[in-house]
Amino acid sequence: MTARGGRWLGIAALSASIVLSALGQLGMKAGMQNLRVARAGGELAWSLAASAPLRAALLWTAAGLAAYGLSLLAWLAVLVRYRLSYAYPLLALSYVLVYIGATSWPELAEPATPQRTIGTLLILAGVALVSLTGERAGR
Amino acid sequence: MNDLLLLLAVALLSTSQVLQKVGASRRLAGARNASEWVAALFSPELLAAIACIVAGTALWLAVLYRMDVSRAFPFLSLTTVIVMAASRWYLREPVTLHRWAGVALIAVGIALVAST
Repeated sequence: MTARGGRWLGIAALSASIVLSALGQLGMKAGMQNLRVARAGGELAWSLAASAPLRAALLWTAAGLAAYGLSLLAWLAVLVRYRLSYAYPLLALSYVLVYIGATSWPELAEPATPQRTIGTLLILAGVALVSLTGERAGR
Repeated sequence: MNDLLLLLAVALLSTSQVLQKVGASRRLAGARNASEWVAALFSPELLAAIACIVAGTALWLAVLYRMDVSRAFPFLSLTTVIVMAASRWYLREPVTLHRWAGVALIAVGIALVAST
């Protein structure tokens, strides 16, 4: 553990990694979704000035990649403080965030099927079991 | 074909995780100021980690183009299983029985999501 505010800094970095990685996934997916729309619009649509979907595709993909990149930086700060086998599973909280986002954000509107819901919850349960085994979280 | 792309992306992103931890422990942990931190970022371990992430992310975008993110993203928890095995056998970190049970639950969850 680092001397100055190490604990809170660690928790802040961990939370930032989780939320930013979920936002990154949703942004990248929204970008790819818009790219499909742009492609479906035909060759004339392959101009940034003419195609709103193409602009949206670039914008969302860039935003998603930026959030993803920031989550990786936050993650490096996490890795300095915690053991990988402790910190890594906590990142999986983002599975639930991505699932909620993908099914409830109108931009994506993905179907919430029972298999996906149960599967995602099992993954979360597995992650909790992996994380909450009472072992100390040192490097 | 789509699932093959997905698995390849997951393999690259898992490899990057292990390289990041090795780089963080060997290089970042000892860095005392900004310039040492930047030098650590350009160490072979972290450069390789970044290369894996770039390739893995490009593949990942191709995957997201082809399928729902609510189906593709849970596959990334395979990384947890791979990283756990690497933590145990490569980094020699202790892994308890509880954790292996958690890994088993994760695997069942992935199988369920994969079936959709």
